[in-house]
Amino acid sequence: MNEKAGSSIKNITSLSSDLIKRRQNKPFEYWGPTPTQARKAAVNKKKGLSDKRTTLKEAVAKHIKDGINIGIGGFVNTRVPVAIIHEIIRKGAKDLTLSFQSNSICCELLAGAMILNPDHLSIKRIELAWYGYEVIGIAPLLRHLTSNGMIQLDDYTNYGMSARFKAAAYGIPFIPTRDHGGSDMELINRGKMIECPFSGENVYLVPACHPDVGIVHVQAADMHGNARIFGALCTCPEIAQAAVRTIMTAEVVIPGENIRNYPNLTEIPYPVVDAVVEQPFGATPGACYGNYWFDMPHFLEFRSICDEFRKTGDKAKLQAYYDQYIFSSETFDDFLSQKPYKVLKELRQKDGVQPIILE
Amino acid sequence: MAECGPFEMIAYTGSRVLEDETIVFVGTGLPIIAAMHAQLTHAPNLNMIFEAGSLAAILEQGMPLSVGDTRAFRKAPYAKGLCAAFELTQRGYSDYAFIGGAQIDMYGNINSHFQGGDYEKPATRFPGSGGAGAMAANCEKTISIMALEKRRFVNRLDFVTSIGFGDGSPDYRRKAGVMGSGPYRVITNQALFGFDKKTRRMMLLEVLPGKTAKDIQELVEFDLLISPDLKDMQMPSKEDLRLLRQEIDPDGYFLKRTVR
Repeated sequence: MNEKAGSSIKNITSLSSDLIKRRQNKPFEYWGPTPTQARKAAVNKKKGLSDKRTTLKEAVAKHIKDGINIGIGGFVNTRVPVAIIHEIIRKGAKDLTLSFQSNSICCELLAGAMILNPDHLSIKRIELAWYGYEVIGIAPLLRHLTSNGMIQLDDYTNYGMSARFKAAAYGIPFIPTRDHGGSDMELINRGKMIECPFSGENVYLVPACHPDVGIVHVQAADMHGNARIFGALCTCPEIAQAAVRTIMTAEVVIPGENIRNYPNLTEIPYPVVDAVVEQPFGATPGACYGNYWFDMPHFLEFRSICDEFRKTGDKAKLQAYYDQYIFSSETFDDFLSQKPYKVLKELRQKDGVQPIILE
Repeated sequence: MAECGPFEMIAYTGSRVLEDETIVFVGTGLPIIAAMHAQLTHAPNLNMIFEAGSLAAILEQGMPLSVGDTRAFRKAPYAKGLCAAFELTQRGYSDYAFIGGAQIDMYGNINSHFQGGDYEKPATRFPGSGGAGAMAANCEKTISIMALEKRRFVNRLDFVTSIGFGDGSPDYRRKAGVMGSGPYRVITNQALFGFDKKTRRMMLLEVLPGKTAKDIQELVEFDLLISPDLKDMQMPSKEDLRLLRQEIDPDGYFLKRTVR
């Protein structure tokens, strides 16, 4: 392998040669379990079809520890595991690594918790492709944390992060991609350009990403963790199978015999899942195909509070949001109870009865 | 001539650029609107890929507000996840990438990571690559949308997120290991740009009626090539505007915004 394979990005980069040298000379490290550790953990799991139903409080207490890598499912504002994030914030965890392709509310909620009390919850670094709200706007807290140098980032494309989870899910240490090369990501992320051993052409490798804990929300699962997903799969099947442990919330827990009726509909197989929690509206204010659409007013409320903090440095409204919606709630149902029935009903109506199969 | 807002002009021009019987990989906002308009007019068999994983959905519930919107999966004949969308693209089944960004240079490279400061402590961090870096690499042709401003059309990007023609050398993209042929069009509300085949530099193809090449050059930091066949941009008809305003973005999420 030619160690010097690379594009001509250095001809056009604005990055300082110091930064490039520092990032490129740093010995490679996984920001979570190594493939060998992840393999060992899988081998040591009990593989029976056991009842994995539990509460979020128990699942989070058991699996979320300081210093771990959390792989966040969903995509931007869709099927995002908000209920699990709320519980992680209640429990607290320090020096977290986050891994995802594109997300909005989940990472902003964690970032806000860090800004309010870094001794309770803190993010050390994020491996990602994108962090924002799309039509709603940029993510104010990401901007705050990065412009103050409070977190470390490692940037890939959406395919790059998805492929990294896929490599991990496949049990292989890396995956070749046709992107990143020729961009500044080639100079700063932990991927590597090599010459293809067969054709001699340059090809970019991205390392497997095994989160310690994957968190995903799905439309339906049985009590063992066999899950069906409708609409966008996002990168949830890959994240669940890449992670050492997976906590899953489902809009509804369905009988195992339904799963067996249509085995091809199972997108996540039970052995990779460690906790199953039935949690209706578990992705709100995000959307969940076949169940509910975006809660735009809630997104706007939270984002405007975050943006106000970014501009003024005043944490009062941010603290009030967390107190009202998260810390004063014992469970996600308590949070949902604060929403008038007609709001939830309208979110359901806006989904437009997208077809899903539960039988 | 009908009154037409800047974003309507961009969406309409985007629609004109898209051909029938192709697949366009769309980003949120104006790209979706442009593709929907094309489907309703000259390109009924144009199909969209959304990066959350849908192909050729029927957008009968209205314009998706996000590329992961549940509406972007309505009646799709194929729906999977991000891997599937990008792998079809890597394989060669996405004809157009339709992306935006904060800065663009003369070779069509685009920045959507940060501006000012450095990578580890940026003055202003943007959301990041998202799908754009992969789309610019592996869709066959890249169409980008930019506001025409000097601070955006720059000599040097703060960060290269989405690959264009790199430094302009003929083998830049091959050495980068990417598959698509690269930048194709840059759409703004006052000008449409392409790229010169020989030098791979940005070339002014069309200007808003009443504008001159000099007007456009004043809004661009680098030297533009001017097409010997410089044309006026085609303006949307009343019917085009009706489609955009009433059928596609009736709530004005994207079209009613104002330029800063």
